[in-house]
Amino acid sequence: MVITAGPGVAALPEGGRVDFARLRRERRARLLEAMAEAGLDALVLGRPANITYASGARQLWTAGARPFGPGAVVMADSGEVHLLSTWDDGVPSEIGRDHLFGLSWNPGRIVANLAAIPGLASAPRIGTDGWSPGAGALVAAVAAGAEFIDAWPALAAARRVKTVDELACLRTAAAAAEAGMSALVEALRPGITERQLMGVHAAALARLGLPTPPIEAAASLMPGADGKPTALRRLVSDQAAEAGQMVALTAGALYAGYEATLSRTWLVGSEPGALGTASAGQRGIAGQARALRDARVAACRPGPLPASLGPDQSAGAEPVAWGVGLGMEAPLLGAGLGTGTELSAGMTLVVQAWAAGLSGPGGALEADLVLVGPEGPESLTRFGSCPALTAD
Amino acid sequence: MTPTSYSEGGLAKSINGAVLPDAPDLARMRTERHARLQAQMAAVGVDALLLLGTNPVGYTTGAEAPGADSGRAGLMRPVALVVGGDPQPHLFTPYPEGAPADLAGDHLHPAIYPELPDGAASAAAALSELVPAGGRLAVDELPHPLAAVLDSYEITGASGVLGPARLVKTADELACIRTAQSINETAMAQVQPRLRPGVRQNELSAWFLEAIFDLGATGNGIDPIWQVMPERLADGPWTTHGDVAFPTASTDRILRAGDVIWVDTGIDWRGYASDFGRTWLVEAGAAPTPSGRQAAQFRRWDEVMAAVLSILKPGVTALELGRAAIDANGGTRPWIEHFYLAHGVGTESAEMPMIGTDLGDAFDDRMVMQPGMVLVLEPVIWDEGAGGYRAEDIFAVTDDGWVALSDHPYDPYGERSW
Repeated sequence: MVITAGPGVAALPEGGRVDFARLRRERRARLLEAMAEAGLDALVLGRPANITYASGARQLWTAGARPFGPGAVVMADSGEVHLLSTWDDGVPSEIGRDHLFGLSWNPGRIVANLAAIPGLASAPRIGTDGWSPGAGALVAAVAAGAEFIDAWPALAAARRVKTVDELACLRTAAAAAEAGMSALVEALRPGITERQLMGVHAAALARLGLPTPPIEAAASLMPGADGKPTALRRLVSDQAAEAGQMVALTAGALYAGYEATLSRTWLVGSEPGALGTASAGQRGIAGQARALRDARVAACRPGPLPASLGPDQSAGAEPVAWGVGLGMEAPLLGAGLGTGTELSAGMTLVVQAWAAGLSGPGGALEADLVLVGPEGPESLTRFGSCPALTAD
Repeated sequence: MTPTSYSEGGLAKSINGAVLPDAPDLARMRTERHARLQAQMAAVGVDALLLLGTNPVGYTTGAEAPGADSGRAGLMRPVALVVGGDPQPHLFTPYPEGAPADLAGDHLHPAIYPELPDGAASAAAALSELVPAGGRLAVDELPHPLAAVLDSYEITGASGVLGPARLVKTADELACIRTAQSINETAMAQVQPRLRPGVRQNELSAWFLEAIFDLGATGNGIDPIWQVMPERLADGPWTTHGDVAFPTASTDRILRAGDVIWVDTGIDWRGYASDFGRTWLVEAGAAPTPSGRQAAQFRRWDEVMAAVLSILKPGVTALELGRAAIDANGGTRPWIEHFYLAHGVGTESAEMPMIGTDLGDAFDDRMVMQPGMVLVLEPVIWDEGAGGYRAEDIFAVTDDGWVALSDHPYDPYGERSW
């Protein structure tokens, strides 16, 4: 099934777009299957994306890596999910109120809440998606005899191939990310700062009804000729755009927790909407980045990892591709990572390319969200290239 | 003593002898934080500190990283390593442009990926060159792949080092919080006049996000909260404890005339969090006017704040502050059961000291106010049948009282008395 109504965020009376009940059901089935495969009796999850995968709960977006702590518990035998939530707002109806445990600051209460989950205290093998001396000790206190195991292999096995409804969410996120990119391109003008562009991007997505984007770094102006290789820079500055500068734009969006990201390199025109005229050097660098991206996208086929996506490759110092579903996920490919990875039909990857000259024009970044299809790759993001940087 | 109102020059008050600067000296701040960490490491007998958490790494190194959701921030994370006796921290980062300019080149390293099996081994190799095997290593997070390759160290928790270091702020840290809060307040002042029936929660978020980056924020900390409050608890979301549900995530909910909304936003500036909370009213046309009961809720909130602030100074316990709040609210606890009367703010949006949590009275009795501690006071006045009033303001404990780090009106409810 595809999203026949096209991407949008409104509910449709006939039940069009994403079938969220089926989405949650299928995710949970995959998770339980992966747990059985890994011989896990219970999962204790702290990473918001994993909590969403297991529970379907709509969580509050916060920035930064969340410290490990028990946010959801999945029991293999019963298939039931217990959730850290003080209220039932945002909690799917299949998780009853008696399966919610409230926020607490008190270690004794947290242990008691977890110990009340049927079967957890006696579970022999418990998978966790993180560990820390503090929160780990709490979990260990609940199930003193348990063996605690890395849950990520099982989680990755469940998450890597997307269901039809997950793909529908990703396609919706893709359309939203493109809207963010469109807003960035529209806003480009001499004088606007990288930081202001970040605000333009975040506001464009919020207007669509989506939460704070998964990434905030939205614009990186390419410095002029300083004789040094230009580095791929993710952190925005207060640098203001000048006509004729190249700028690497990255847009990203979350829809129902699913992420789409794309990058394009654009030329700052002399006024809003003006194309500008790129130098031959700029066009050359931009063309290199597009060609490299196209080659990497074309390599996204089922089977052993191709060399073009392998550990020896990199984009700046970054990986050249990574898994994307409920946000960034394994595998990370390139920058020394990804040895032994197999690509499977139904995986979704962000694939990026970075090209930089030794002087003059700066660098160019291109990235798209790609579905590894049985017959070949499909780019889920679509957005044209900067006309000024593609002209002959 | 009667605390000086910050509108009357309270900013000159000293914190451990230092005057709160108009603008923070970030290099001095990093040096002072590092000295605290080193002293605390020595005090608890830790040879090295390995930190993975977004905010602990920011505190330890001063490194900045782009705002990201937890999934990306977990995989593409800056990592900090502090070796005992070393004048600077080591930083492993995918974002070298975020490293402080004064970090020595041999302390700035390429990214490591401790959450990935094929990244943890190289992380351990990098660590082994800097920390001798057998050393006592304090960590905040210990992902399984990393734990599997750290067996040559004695592992302990980092909270014994981080907790005491972060509990009390330097004057520069307080200036960072005040700057973050000022950006947050200015943005909210731009958003509030646009509130009217028919506006959706996500539109408020859009205006807010555009404004904070225009004003210089380095990140957004939390998806903005614009929660429509029920008049009665039974009309709100069901809760595990029967108290108010807050904060719940925003959607595209259409706001209507008569809605009472509790707003809560937080941004990041140079690694420090703000925390803005107010109660707003939705009405068409002219400025909304609170009902008699709503106005009384605000007066009660103001009385609670005044009661707490009248005794806030070094030496007072969290328990005494909590009791002052309860007394001013006629014997009823003026905060939500799963939260607190007050929490700290710094590199974390909610950190110690906390007042009134379910850690209990004994914990609060041991929490003694010291100069440099920060309190976000957030009393909640619940008035069953007429909703409630909630607002929060930020204070630092000074050498002889307090100074406010927030400064924002309470429209359309009235003015504070303190």
